[in-house]
Amino acid sequence: MPKCSYLGVSCFSLSTMKVIGVDVGGTFTDVILVDSKTGMQYVHKVPSVPNNQDIAVIKGIEEVLANNSLERDDVNLVVHGTTVATNAMLERKGAKVVLLTTAGLEDALEIGRQQREEIYALSASRPESLVSRENRIGVDERIDAQGNTLLPLDQDEAVKVSLEVMNRKPEAVAISLLFSYKNSTHERTLRQAFQNQKDVYVALSSDVLPEFREFERTSTTVLEAYLGPLVIGYLEKLDAALRDLVPTSHLTVMQSNGGTILASQTRGRTIGLAISGLAGGVIGGWEIAEQNKISRALTLDMGGTSCDISAIIGDIIVRPDNEIAGLPLRMPSVDVKTIGAGGGSIAWIDTAGILHVGPQSAGAVPGPASYNKGGRDPTVTDANLLLGRLNPAFFLGGNIKLNADLAKQSVSEIAAQLSLSIKETALGILRISTENMVQAIREVTIERGRDPRDFVLIPFGGAGPTQSIEIAESLGIRKILIPPHPGITSAFGLVCSNLRVDLMKTILVESSQYNFSILIKTLNELSADAERELSDQGVSKKDIQLDWKVDMRYVGQSYELAVPLNFDGNNLLKESVNLFESLHRESFGYQMKGRQVEWVTARVSAIAKSHKSTEYNWSVQKQGVPIATREIILSNGETVPAQIYRRDELGEGQEITGPAIIEQIDTTIYISPDWTGQQQSNGCLWVRRKS
Amino acid sequence: MIEDPITFEVIKNALISCAREMSQALRRTAFSPNIKERRDCSCAIFDSEGHLVAQSKDIPVHLGAMPLSVKSCIEKLNDALVDKTMALVNDPFLGGSHLPDLTLVAPIYAADERVAFVANRAHHADIGGEIPGSMPGLSLSIHDEGILIEPRIVVTDGKLQENLIADVLAATRTPDERMGDLSAQVAANNVGLKRIDEVAEIHGWNVLRRSFDELQQYSRRMITERIQKYNGAQGRFTDYLESDGTGIWNIPISVSVKFENGRVSVDFTGTSNQVRGNVNCPFASTLSAVYYIFISLFGRDIPTNEGCWQIIDVLLPERSLLNPEYPVPVSAGNVETSQRIVDTILGALAEVIPELIPAASQGTMNNLTIGGFDINRGRQFSFYETIGGGAGASKGNDGSSGIHTHMTNTLNTPIESLESEYPLRVRRYALRRKSGGAGKWRGGDGIVREIEILADSATISIQSERRLIAPWGLHGGECGAVGENKLIYENKEHILQSKSTIIAPKGAIIHIETPGGGGWGPPQPEEK
Repeated sequence: MPKCSYLGVSCFSLSTMKVIGVDVGGTFTDVILVDSKTGMQYVHKVPSVPNNQDIAVIKGIEEVLANNSLERDDVNLVVHGTTVATNAMLERKGAKVVLLTTAGLEDALEIGRQQREEIYALSASRPESLVSRENRIGVDERIDAQGNTLLPLDQDEAVKVSLEVMNRKPEAVAISLLFSYKNSTHERTLRQAFQNQKDVYVALSSDVLPEFREFERTSTTVLEAYLGPLVIGYLEKLDAALRDLVPTSHLTVMQSNGGTILASQTRGRTIGLAISGLAGGVIGGWEIAEQNKISRALTLDMGGTSCDISAIIGDIIVRPDNEIAGLPLRMPSVDVKTIGAGGGSIAWIDTAGILHVGPQSAGAVPGPASYNKGGRDPTVTDANLLLGRLNPAFFLGGNIKLNADLAKQSVSEIAAQLSLSIKETALGILRISTENMVQAIREVTIERGRDPRDFVLIPFGGAGPTQSIEIAESLGIRKILIPPHPGITSAFGLVCSNLRVDLMKTILVESSQYNFSILIKTLNELSADAERELSDQGVSKKDIQLDWKVDMRYVGQSYELAVPLNFDGNNLLKESVNLFESLHRESFGYQMKGRQVEWVTARVSAIAKSHKSTEYNWSVQKQGVPIATREIILSNGETVPAQIYRRDELGEGQEITGPAIIEQIDTTIYISPDWTGQQQSNGCLWVRRKS
Repeated sequence: MIEDPITFEVIKNALISCAREMSQALRRTAFSPNIKERRDCSCAIFDSEGHLVAQSKDIPVHLGAMPLSVKSCIEKLNDALVDKTMALVNDPFLGGSHLPDLTLVAPIYAADERVAFVANRAHHADIGGEIPGSMPGLSLSIHDEGILIEPRIVVTDGKLQENLIADVLAATRTPDERMGDLSAQVAANNVGLKRIDEVAEIHGWNVLRRSFDELQQYSRRMITERIQKYNGAQGRFTDYLESDGTGIWNIPISVSVKFENGRVSVDFTGTSNQVRGNVNCPFASTLSAVYYIFISLFGRDIPTNEGCWQIIDVLLPERSLLNPEYPVPVSAGNVETSQRIVDTILGALAEVIPELIPAASQGTMNNLTIGGFDINRGRQFSFYETIGGGAGASKGNDGSSGIHTHMTNTLNTPIESLESEYPLRVRRYALRRKSGGAGKWRGGDGIVREIEILADSATISIQSERRLIAPWGLHGGECGAVGENKLIYENKEHILQSKSTIIAPKGAIIHIETPGGGGWGPPQPEEK
């Protein structure tokens, strides 16, 4: 792929460094390299290798360096977004876990909170737990609510239990004992008993989520054990390979919270990577929105396999918890919804004769039928090709030659079953795929009481800009903004992300002068730890911004309000109580006079901000002329001639009136008759409805 | 009818999220574990006449009943319900359910007109009466069960006025906690008022009020379409409550359900008269149970509002078990009898729509209250919880185990919360293996829960059912196991009745086994 010479982006304040972002999608692995010395950006795309994501990551980095004759020994940082954890959860393919609980409470994981998912369900149900009854073992021990030992756990019992565990041949052990957030001695004693079992991944609830509520702590710890072996194994392998390839670099991984973590520090924190691969797209899409002063954006990242959607108002929301594939997760996560809808989504007919599209994808291998790599199933890409919206000779800039005959053959097979023409079937495939994405957008807007018509749609990923107008039409959205390089926007998000460490510790003391030193000491310790973690990632101390918060509540409440603290304030006691009371009034309309307030959890965020990238400078002034005219089929079935443009030939300010197709290496933009596109000086393309 | 379908959807969902945010505010600010951890509370939005417009998805038995509380506040207080006031009510004979459920109603004004209401209902862990927890095993009059609050204004100028609830605070054993929980109820309404104002600012009150009507009409039309296809179908069934706690056993509930002309009639003629003990089910709670069934069967994907039940005609004999008159006791009616109403209607429909009707679920909420003096904290305590059990199997699905079914959906009390706040210790919390009824599809298993008393003595009350009459199976499926209540002291077991109040010494363990669900279809040979 040619390098992009018109970009002037410097993403990091950290001078003289090369940063690589690698985003693994279900179909393609995208690489972006930013050289802050020259301000240059280089992009590349290779097919993903689903069960060995590292192979494509290494290949992509190798090729981006080689293709652009870049030195490999001054790459400082590789930022990685991975779907290893997400896929394990979706496919229930995590480790075999044995769970240790306080005796008598072995079933607490299965009972959950005893409620059903849906109140109006005559047949109450909830998702199955990750550890079956025979792999949940009770341990004779007991700590009370104050952290005192009621029934001590002796070494003999610990050894006995560990033997029982090993008989079950687990890959991981989750240890979650009652009140371990108050006193973790017994959990640590049990861990000791496994210290010679190097192949077993051990997760303690007092490490993973030191908070009260045994079910939530246990299920989160089980998930850590479930994901740990797979994720750590993957990252270690990748880290070793990178050390050969780019020896001076650190490997960091995108976390669900939108910040990065050093790969070497993920042991015990793999649940923080649950949606690692999704966060980059949200950050990249929102970065584009901010550059264009858009305050309400719908980011739509549609690749080959899935489509990730986020409705953002003002700023990216990080939610305190999340749920993936029915698995609740108490970890901060960027607000994003993902569905199985991509260019590779397979069209199929069920036993009742109804046409469906996805969620299965043909991926990169065997790929859509038209890839001619052995795939026979018709996909969204095949349908787009038959409707003239894709150029068979310029897919991925010509790296993949599409075979229209194979696309036709695959679509004709289901067309015959549906007794429809090939054209009608192809249009039907697009309509269903569009409807699936529209439904997901409705969930993040209309179902939350927001009107999608107030948002700008920002489509990216390889497949997003091809279908964005149909999505917009169906929701009444009138404005679409297409980034300069839609296909690598997620990887762009990775290199734009802040380096971020969030640390917390529960202290739970009444807010008083007497306890003040506990709060300050905890905040200072957490700050030092957080700073150390960031400086390990190559950040100098002066670039680190620390944020202090303390969760507070009235004594007697169970939920807290997060109260921001002034870092160098010298009257934190009074300040925190006053701020808490005014926040409480603001949130709930009242405050309680004379009620004691307590400090529950001290929180420190350390952030090294990436400098907001200076905008792209679109240097092409000369108006581009169509390179060809091609017949395309509109959604109403009409066949019309459309002018075909190349994106990198569009002049600044140039208007393109639909029907038209704009081709670029990493995507194809379809503009229907009622819409007009206009190339902006900052690289983005506005597409607006005419009336 | 609906002019702009997108705006309609946006407003519908905005209203639902208002209600949801109210619920969140309520539990985030509440003081008692029953509200903040178990979420025994519900929130909703009503039009100017008190018709339900949108609700949070919390507790079914609250949600169908709340409109009657709102309407009774309008009727009794009307002009006094000015801007920035809120009214409190728990009267079971005026739209309430049982005394611990306090409902707080707030009017919404646009200019000078009262255009809507928000309200929330929360179960308070003690509201006075003879026994801590106000859910006694034995009561003979409503006044044994706590303080009865007819609609009255308790919030003026947006502030909870302590002098207007002085009698409530005097009646309860835990006034501090009540004050905290009532403040949380005020907070929930405040959040609702604020959010609705924001919605009104975007769309205007005209559009919003029109949507209130459109929503109800829409739901009514949708549910009518769904039930049309059963026109002419009918079924009858009788199920029994096993006891009222005062010596009356095997109390019948009879129902006849008939689908006609796009309406459904539910006739309880033949049901027992009101009884001496506390299983009498207030009118509003009875309606809640009936509505729950038809929403579950036909309206799960229809917005829940007053329109859903405008097509249901409920016939309730006066002074009957399901429509009792002051001053009979009612505390177990809302929680236990409501479950049996559901079983009875399901039984009547089992042959009419066999593919949709599950076998009987545990059919009880296993209400457990423990109260006494907490010497470490130097104050009275009152603990309340309900315990899940087995769900009935249905065609194609085993019943779930250890789960709340039908009229409640409260969470459990986390052990780490329970032991941090009360002089109690949980000894065991497990599924009760093999308690689900055998069948082609098995009923779910119940729960075993053991709690040790650490206070010097404590009053324990249990309101439970299905200790003698097992949850039935369907189509050849076997019954679920009956539940059991025991007190274990000095290694001796003492069986307790389904409705019991006892005073237990320190070190005693209350042991509850909840019923399994019924099976569906004949058991396969290997299961026998």
